[in-house]
Amino acid sequence: MSVLKGQELRIIGFLCNWCSYGGADTAGIGRFVQPTDLRVVRVPCSGRINPLFIMKALLYGADGVLVSGCHPRDCHYAEGNFYARRRLEVIKALLPALGIDPRRFEYTWVSASEGRRWQHVVESFTMQIHDLGPARRLPDAPELDVLKMVAAE
Amino acid sequence: MSIQEELQAVIKEALPDVSCVIGWREGPEPLRAAPLFVRTPADADAFRSGYFAVNNPAVFLPEYKGGKVGVVVKGCDARSVGQLLAEGLIRREEVKVIGFPCNGVIDVDKVAVALAGACDPGEIQAAREEGDELVLTTPSGEIRLRKTAVTADKCGRCLFPNALDADVFVGDTLEPAVSADDYADVAAFEALSLEKRMDFWEQEMSRCVRCYACRNACPMCVCREHCVALSRDPRWLTQSDGVRDKMFFQIIHASHLAGRCTGCGECQRACPARIPVLLLKRALSRRVEDLFAYRAGVDVAGPPPLLSFALEEPKIKERDW
Amino acid sequence: MSEQKIVSRKFISLGYLPAWLEELALGRTVYVPRQEGRTVLYRPFVPGDLPEFSRRPAESAKHVLFPRSEGLFSFCRKGDPGAPDTRGLLLSESAEPGQAVIFGALSCDARGFFAFDPVYDGCGTKGIAKDVYYLKRRENTALIVKACKTPLSTCFCHWTGGGPASAQGADALATDLDGGILLQAVTKKGAALLESAKLSPATDDQEASARAAHEAAVKAMPSSPSLDGAPEALLGLFDNKAFWHAQSAGCLSCGACTYLCPTCYCFNLTDESNGIAGTRLRTWDTCMSALFTMEASGHNPRRDKAARLKNRVGHKFSYYPRIHDGRFSCCGCGRCIRSCPSSVDIRQIVLNALKENADV
Repeated sequence: MSVLKGQELRIIGFLCNWCSYGGADTAGIGRFVQPTDLRVVRVPCSGRINPLFIMKALLYGADGVLVSGCHPRDCHYAEGNFYARRRLEVIKALLPALGIDPRRFEYTWVSASEGRRWQHVVESFTMQIHDLGPARRLPDAPELDVLKMVAAE
Repeated sequence: MSIQEELQAVIKEALPDVSCVIGWREGPEPLRAAPLFVRTPADADAFRSGYFAVNNPAVFLPEYKGGKVGVVVKGCDARSVGQLLAEGLIRREEVKVIGFPCNGVIDVDKVAVALAGACDPGEIQAAREEGDELVLTTPSGEIRLRKTAVTADKCGRCLFPNALDADVFVGDTLEPAVSADDYADVAAFEALSLEKRMDFWEQEMSRCVRCYACRNACPMCVCREHCVALSRDPRWLTQSDGVRDKMFFQIIHASHLAGRCTGCGECQRACPARIPVLLLKRALSRRVEDLFAYRAGVDVAGPPPLLSFALEEPKIKERDW
Repeated sequence: MSEQKIVSRKFISLGYLPAWLEELALGRTVYVPRQEGRTVLYRPFVPGDLPEFSRRPAESAKHVLFPRSEGLFSFCRKGDPGAPDTRGLLLSESAEPGQAVIFGALSCDARGFFAFDPVYDGCGTKGIAKDVYYLKRRENTALIVKACKTPLSTCFCHWTGGGPASAQGADALATDLDGGILLQAVTKKGAALLESAKLSPATDDQEASARAAHEAAVKAMPSSPSLDGAPEALLGLFDNKAFWHAQSAGCLSCGACTYLCPTCYCFNLTDESNGIAGTRLRTWDTCMSALFTMEASGHNPRRDKAARLKNRVGHKFSYYPRIHDGRFSCCGCGRCIRSCPSSVDIRQIVLNALKENADV
């Protein structure tokens, strides 16, 4: 149940295994209450995140996407998040050209010990997405309607 | 001797060293040249350069890797060659680059607009240039159009009319008409509301037939038969006719060209449904230029920006929270 | 005008055209050429809009009868709580296609369906395996073609047995006259459409001027070479790698030519499912793609773009005519040339093949 009033929105989080996923764990162990709109996908490293993951999520049903990795210079693989930083920053520029509010996608760095910070990140981003409301979607192909019907059941 | 004749001579000279020289010839329609592959000196007589030679011959270069090939390039085509070289997709010693100064090329779509229904552009029987005018022979007589009205947009913002890094350069270098690319087209589009922008793409992409001409005409799309759009596992796209999948393919194309697109506009020109897909790539090029002061195909010393990183990124401001 | 018998004839003055199209659109979808962006396509008629006749459509009308992607049926696996070991499979058919009219298509579009018909009517299986999806749409769709006046530089319908005013494969032929359009029905379906109060009876004079217009349009086309030897010439060059390599040098392997072609009828079947439920889609295929005829083993008998281009040209001008009384499965609309980013010219390839074969 979302601690925010009203409808729960769908936010996808891509978290690196070594820092941010640990940070989210720390927040859980510390019982830091967070909104529940976020669904987490654990990836080995923020450098593993194909920018298309983010675009696919935004186009096919997410109202927001959050990426979180190790702080720069703290990457488990030394430089994965440096590459990620460039890619993520560039891909953000595609959103306004598509008619998607760029605030629907953010990336940040949270270490495994930063449970409090994780709580703050999730709260802030969830608020931001709730301010924007549900995302508009491009229509899907009518010949695939059955998939929608089954998903709704 | 005209530039075209000089180029023909240079091509003939280059031939003994290369398996073929890629350039242009007259196409089946007067306004559109077609690619030419010169293998014998006699073939070179069919070579045509100039206003109608729009195709980017750099698209063929990766196919000829492993043997030496010559290519005649305009300024924009030379940027594609430069970027292919920078990424190691072709080898410098395997291409002979023949450059010349380009005065701009035609945009056939603009001709259709300028004709304003007088005839179908396909009915044009002959075309010739007279000063700054284009003279078209149509079933209902001669029609004169101002070249400035029908020249491709990319030429209006071209900073490199002279082929960079050419082995042979024919003719006198030209001064570019502008001093910087202001990305006014991207800015104008982004001045629309988000709602309007998405409306625009929904309408435009509904015309897409998924022929992938945009991808295949792109000189930087080197995955060819291994494109992720064709993959069933992972399945990025369904086989449906939906606008969402079509849009997502354009996102794939644009994101794979981030920091690599030289703005030659072949994707848009190739589109049989006339969807302005270059816009997405230019939105990313503008960002890459802002962040890393990198222009694909020009600033090619060192690795491309998305294949490298800096410990501190002076232009990237990260989230406060 | 073709050799077909005219069943009925009517005249419509231009002022009545929108009202007639609106009348046709009652209970049907009427497709007309429409300007969209910087191109003209066949799109459903919108009341208040006139069809776009100043430019010829970039695409053919084939998607009306043969959608780019159509759901053939959908499936769903459902468990029964009473019998936990079994899982039922529910199948549901797609809805029947509705009635449609294509108004203002080109003669070459209609001749494209003419090439489709025998293939989907089970010609290869002595009529046993009929394609019900196509045939149903074909039956439900009436086609009114509009005679062309001037050829485009890429037009060659007369090379392939057609003409600017051919009604082959169509239900009625429309011809521009002063102040209006003459409509000549060649099938019962076409005649039924012409029974409208918006249309007035046509006169012999009008028919005569239409005939004159058709003759003028034929005259406006450059003379056509004989393609009689094309099927044998192309077959003779089947193993000539150098020839096909040279012809395909400029090809980019995109699908623009085949997707805009009125006669290309290849399709692909795929299941789009989410694990429990899904749809079986039939989608346009293109022999220009590297995935065309790719086998599960990874082997593809058509390995490179030269082999694939050979298939496109060979199919239209050799393999198809050899089993269909010499009729080419190319209607000469020239869309493949016009929309090819590299201006690959199928006419030139056939002529080159004839020449190459004569030289041998």
